[in-house]
Amino acid sequence: MSGLTALLSQTRGRDGWDWTDYFTFFWLGAGLLVMFGPAIWLVLSSLKTPAGLSEFPPTFLPYKAETIQVDGYDKPLPLYRVTTEEGVRDLAELRRVGTVAQMIDPEQPDERLRVNIADRTPIRKVGFAWENFIDPLFNSNFPTYLKNSVFVTVMATLITLLTNSMAAFALSKYQFTGRNTVMILILATLMVPLSVILVPLFSIISSVGLFDTLWGVILPTVATPTGVFMLRQYMLTIPDELLEAARMDHASEWQIYWRIVLPLTAPALAVLAIFSVVWRWNDFLWPLVVLSREEVYTLQVGLNAYAGELNVQWHFLLAMTVVTMVPVVLVFVFLQKFITTGIAGAGLK
Amino acid sequence: MPSPGKIVGAVVTAPLQYMGQLVDPLLRRWQSWTGLNGMAAFFLAPNMLIFGVFVLIPMGMNIVYSMTSGNALFLKDREFVGGTHYKTLLDCQNYFDPQSCHQDLFWIAAGNTFQFVICQVALMIVVCMITALILNSEIRARSFWRAVFFFPVLLSPVVVGLIWKWILQRDGVLNAVLLDMGLEPINWLIERGWAFFAAITVSVWAHMGFYALILLAGLQAIPKDLYEAAEMDGTRHMRVFWRITLPLLMPNLLVVLVLSLIRAVQIFDEAFVLTGGGPGTATMFLTQYIYEVGFASILKNPGLAAAASILMGGVLIVLTLLQLGLTGRKDRAR
Amino acid sequence: MGQITLKDIRKSFGPVDVLKGIDLEIEQGEFLVFVGPSGCGKSTLLRMIAGLDKPTSGTVEINDVDVTQVSAADRGLAMVFQSYALYPHMTVRQNLAFGLQNTKMPKAEIDRRIADASTMLEIDGLLSRRPGQLSGGQRQRVAIGRAIVRDPTAFLLDEPLSNLDAELRVSMRAELSALHDRIKTTMIYVTHDQVEAMTMADRIVVLRGGHIEQVATPLDLFNKPANLFVAGFIGAPAMNLFSGSLENGQFLCDGRVLGTALRLQDGPGTLGIRPQHLILADGGALSGKIALVESLGIETVLHVDLSEGGNLIAVLPGQAAVKAGDQVAFDIPRDKRHLFDGQGQRVPV
Repeated sequence: MSGLTALLSQTRGRDGWDWTDYFTFFWLGAGLLVMFGPAIWLVLSSLKTPAGLSEFPPTFLPYKAETIQVDGYDKPLPLYRVTTEEGVRDLAELRRVGTVAQMIDPEQPDERLRVNIADRTPIRKVGFAWENFIDPLFNSNFPTYLKNSVFVTVMATLITLLTNSMAAFALSKYQFTGRNTVMILILATLMVPLSVILVPLFSIISSVGLFDTLWGVILPTVATPTGVFMLRQYMLTIPDELLEAARMDHASEWQIYWRIVLPLTAPALAVLAIFSVVWRWNDFLWPLVVLSREEVYTLQVGLNAYAGELNVQWHFLLAMTVVTMVPVVLVFVFLQKFITTGIAGAGLK
Repeated sequence: MPSPGKIVGAVVTAPLQYMGQLVDPLLRRWQSWTGLNGMAAFFLAPNMLIFGVFVLIPMGMNIVYSMTSGNALFLKDREFVGGTHYKTLLDCQNYFDPQSCHQDLFWIAAGNTFQFVICQVALMIVVCMITALILNSEIRARSFWRAVFFFPVLLSPVVVGLIWKWILQRDGVLNAVLLDMGLEPINWLIERGWAFFAAITVSVWAHMGFYALILLAGLQAIPKDLYEAAEMDGTRHMRVFWRITLPLLMPNLLVVLVLSLIRAVQIFDEAFVLTGGGPGTATMFLTQYIYEVGFASILKNPGLAAAASILMGGVLIVLTLLQLGLTGRKDRAR
Repeated sequence: MGQITLKDIRKSFGPVDVLKGIDLEIEQGEFLVFVGPSGCGKSTLLRMIAGLDKPTSGTVEINDVDVTQVSAADRGLAMVFQSYALYPHMTVRQNLAFGLQNTKMPKAEIDRRIADASTMLEIDGLLSRRPGQLSGGQRQRVAIGRAIVRDPTAFLLDEPLSNLDAELRVSMRAELSALHDRIKTTMIYVTHDQVEAMTMADRIVVLRGGHIEQVATPLDLFNKPANLFVAGFIGAPAMNLFSGSLENGQFLCDGRVLGTALRLQDGPGTLGIRPQHLILADGGALSGKIALVESLGIETVLHVDLSEGGNLIAVLPGQAAVKAGDQVAFDIPRDKRHLFDGQGQRVPV
């Protein structure tokens, strides 16, 4: 019990290993496994062949059947280890009929052997089924989804940065009547999630002709109250004297915004840009509602559609999931510190 | 020789500066015409226009929608029916038995959401608290471990749902592990109880990093000398936790509590991909109900969906006011 | 040319009147200092002249042209801010050039002006640095440089030295004076530090509560303070003031006769004497016990509790042989006393 209490008060005993140290190591180890494990498993699985995927229990690493090029045959033939009365031989399979396979010895391609499939096991080596990634790129709508997602993410983020920073500039650096009303209005909508205004928003999008278009996905998401609020808080820390100096320097208000305030807000803009990219890339419910044609699906909607098919092609689905995950993982790897400090600091309140 | 960073910086900023110069004459004219107030209006306009059209107006329209019937999309084609939808939704003989309700699905979804919120938030707080305490203790490579727990937060709900669907399926890796340990495999996504459990665990998995970070920030803000003072006083560890750590962490804990409550009430994406609401209606939650009734089902009923969303919005507003009240009290206490 | 005329300038922020009617003529080429306690309106007045704030009523004229409604940028003035307000994301050169570029000045002319100003201020080695890489004194020079390159009608300086340490402040004071002697442009300087005002100004404007109390040269201000406020504000330690009454040409205070042969009307009044002007003399008019001795080496400051009540500060030259507890008496030299009437206005002795 003293161990737990020491942990809770975070002044852990420094003399020797006690219960809390073990618990800490257990928690961190389990955390590593549980948090990263699923993603790693996903990546490993996405590189398996359909046959490998259907195996139970599954192998840890992806394997591929070993093949061999035999003279007289166009295609490489799969290799098997066959147990016969004479001993163990490595044979290549020509074709299989029922429980009997026609096989040849690559050393002596002329002699055909008949082998019961129970007497043989495929020879495998670790190998990656890159075709899971390559095939959908050419034979499915996946590239379209990818393109749509990139378009939505980039456009939405650019518009978010521009409009939010302009609004934040007005709300932090100008005194005008109604300023507080606008601020309260923006903050109040923080508590209105998309799911609550789904129906009327859909009818507005339809009536302005944006149903089934990517702009219909982009526009409702860009006026983020979080972004306005975050940028405003940051801009409040820019001294007004700087703006006045610029005014004395013949700068127009637009120049003050564009040349002075925006560059100085860069750290907050970067945090918002990261958030916005992640949000828009991951958006699901709203695109699901607005988009009905496959040509305009975003990745998330496309993936969901694939997963909902009667005959789920897991090898493609997993590969596409990995691709969907890539940008976010890149953001995570390179900008992790930015995000975590952003959330712990200004991002939240 | 300028550094690569500087070159990249110049490549990015030069066109931006040029763009700024391009619109400047126009805006100077506008400024000399309308003054500072005109400029404030100019800066506010784009955001507020989008905001008004896509957030404020829908908020108002939602109330009107909830009082009209039919499956037409546009308001002018819809018939005004007053509070009928609310009456339908709330029409129950026994509120604890969804089967006795006119809209049994709504009450099942509401009941599921309620259970989900209670279990998920409780689990979330405990897991996040332990994680934050451990991350705040003297461990090596703290930022690495912080990143480990934060990682799933960035994943899209669809990806989260698919990853876990792949792991939890009958022939999935989890069952292989169970078999290996000599245990019976479990139909995680097919048995009602386990599916519900999976929805809870997966959503905790996906979001815990965010809340643990907030708690960690709170822990790190507690001055170290308080602990040293307590140590000088010979305060017992447990007492230090209850009398120093917990009270000083309370603001952050409240934020975590309310934020996770609000998010849990809106649960949709990852559960929808993971279980699709099934088996049967075991993991059907309110947002999915709204989506299904308003958009997905054959007999679309936008009015009913709007009414249900307003009821849900009411709950969210109560929760938000709770947060404002609690944080307000905290501010006064300071 | 750099003549500025203020006519009945009034400014209110809501119900608070900050400036209550300021009339002032600022001569071409003079170094004028606004001095006063905090909240006296001196900074607000400077901002009115700059055009950063508009007066509630009254007019500002520059070179006999009414510029009250002209924007800050178009008044042809330059301002040095208390925090320097250098653009942190621009190099020193860009900081200097920004205002000139905004007026579409040819590049060659900009370069020439920057070269001139940076040589004059000895900042030519710093042109490619950013403000964050400069010391306080260097930033100060850059801020002044930014004003100089504009070649303004007048310089406005808002407490420019208050962020420097004491030593640097003394040397910058001298440099600013030298700069003014050299470029001979009108300078309007705001400070709350009377030493700065006394050392640098051609004329000093003493402000209090939105009024001008006195406009005079530094020595006139010291020798002939127009009223009780100026008398108490200028000079350190502050002037000793004794309130009492005039009867038959005698000034009476607590039963003592502090002055005689005054050709004045009877009535209440105040007599003032600077601590430096008191003369130690047995049997002097003011006697009491020393409460505290501050030996500064070059002079000795005595805090004295007077026998008849009240206290007094005296400054004796050199190192006086006195200690706390000693009984002392002081004489008031006739030509050094200041007399004020019942309204606190100076009356000639």
